[in-house]
Amino acid sequence: MEYQKPIPLKTEDNKHYWDMADQHELSLQKCNDCGHYAHPPGPSCVHCGGQNLSWEALGKDVRATIYSYVITYRPFLPGFQDDLPLIIAQAELEKVPEVKIMCNVIDCKADNVYIGMSVQMTWQDITEDRALPQWIPVVV
Amino acid sequence: MGKITDRYAIVGVGESERSRNSGTTPLHMALDAARSALHDAGLNAQDIDGFMNYNENDSCTSHDLATYLGVRPKYVKDIQGGGSSTEMLIGDAISLIEAGMLNTVLIFRSMNGSSGQRVGRGYNPDMLQSALPGGSYIIPYGSASPSQWFGMFATRHMHETGITKEHLGHVCLSFYEHAQRNPKAFLHGKPLTMEKYLETPDISYPFNIHDSCVELDEANAIVVTSAERAKACKSKPVYIMGITPRQCHPNAHYWADLTKVASDYVGEELYKSAGVKPEDIQVASIYDCFSWVVLRQLEAYGLAPRGEVGDFAAEGNLRMGGSLPTNTAGGMLSEGYTHGMNNVLEIVRQLRHQYKETDRQVEDCEIGICTGWSGPDIAGAMILRK
Repeated sequence: MEYQKPIPLKTEDNKHYWDMADQHELSLQKCNDCGHYAHPPGPSCVHCGGQNLSWEALGKDVRATIYSYVITYRPFLPGFQDDLPLIIAQAELEKVPEVKIMCNVIDCKADNVYIGMSVQMTWQDITEDRALPQWIPVVV
Repeated sequence: MGKITDRYAIVGVGESERSRNSGTTPLHMALDAARSALHDAGLNAQDIDGFMNYNENDSCTSHDLATYLGVRPKYVKDIQGGGSSTEMLIGDAISLIEAGMLNTVLIFRSMNGSSGQRVGRGYNPDMLQSALPGGSYIIPYGSASPSQWFGMFATRHMHETGITKEHLGHVCLSFYEHAQRNPKAFLHGKPLTMEKYLETPDISYPFNIHDSCVELDEANAIVVTSAERAKACKSKPVYIMGITPRQCHPNAHYWADLTKVASDYVGEELYKSAGVKPEDIQVASIYDCFSWVVLRQLEAYGLAPRGEVGDFAAEGNLRMGGSLPTNTAGGMLSEGYTHGMNNVLEIVRQLRHQYKETDRQVEDCEIGICTGWSGPDIAGAMILRK
């Protein structure tokens, strides 16, 4: 069945992030002037206005800790009607704590999510050529 | 004290009927609200030379309103915006009057927020991905409503400060209690108990329907002029002691940093400009699109200490007779919803002592705060006095 949910829109500023995601890898924008990371990526650095930006590859093994979340019981967008309750969570990257990435937490019951929970990034193949980063609980 | 302290005043407030289905256009409702505010001030439409409104492409224009009041306006301004826009436009009105370009300004918000375009149901996904910078990092995950965007801040803040779901309930109960004294409140006659609150299922955790503002068809209007011109008005002027019309979050993708909200940047300048301290405030209108937003702002404005704001509400401080009666007409959680302007109308009426000798009057109140919250991204506030 065709994927019904919104597909991340690639733009001039975020294309590299989503291109790498399609290859199941995480890449983050970094400012070479002030050293801060930028997520989501943009045309320049929100910390210093610097234009000297680069991309840092974090690879396929991305560990993180749940920083905050909401649990949604109503679909606010098309395609989510079969995913309720839906966990939307920000997780703090183990290697880059200043960056928090928002995804759904998949393979997790709504009652089981908590702040401080260990997760890792996984990629859902949503169409033939697109993949969506998601969080999945780390099984200990 | 700031340069403009007590030199400008709100001299007229008014509203249209509020309902789930107005059966009419925003222009008709705006005319009702404007005529009511003019009547309240004892002014004629011809006394107004500036007309302003905020909208989300869901309203009529200021030019429309003015001409149907029979006025050729000198100045019109229509901005796109929701919460905190009232404060911003009051700041603009003061600046234009101060510069000698205008004399008296009418500001309105008119929306079929229930029968027309509804904020709470989310927006068009394609529009959001391209309109919001960074939209492609939230929309594909099903996050398309303010309850989800602000909820992400709430869950983290509750975790850090010990605010519980029951604390959120106390905000709702306090405001619903006010609404029971206000026959024009939408939820008049529908009191809320903690038991009922706690058993109401969440729409999007941490918020249930009671934590969320009502969505209605309604228009509000206010009239702002100089203290000098206010003398000629029929109404008792409410003076603007200080105003910080706008402050912003440091990141356009405000959800990238959940520890900060724009309101955190408003208070310092606001209190300085008004020449008062948080403890001088006796009545409050705190923007309340969601219950938690009230608690977060009480902290931001120094009205209760971080870590204690939940208990502050639980102890009854937001109720009549408490230390800071707040949103005394019921607020947006239970009275009406015009992106904050109904809370402005109420605090003006409180400071005029318009409810004197009824159980709705905050006794002897002289100084009040009115805050606006567009979101964690944009905020503004003002301090008013009798």
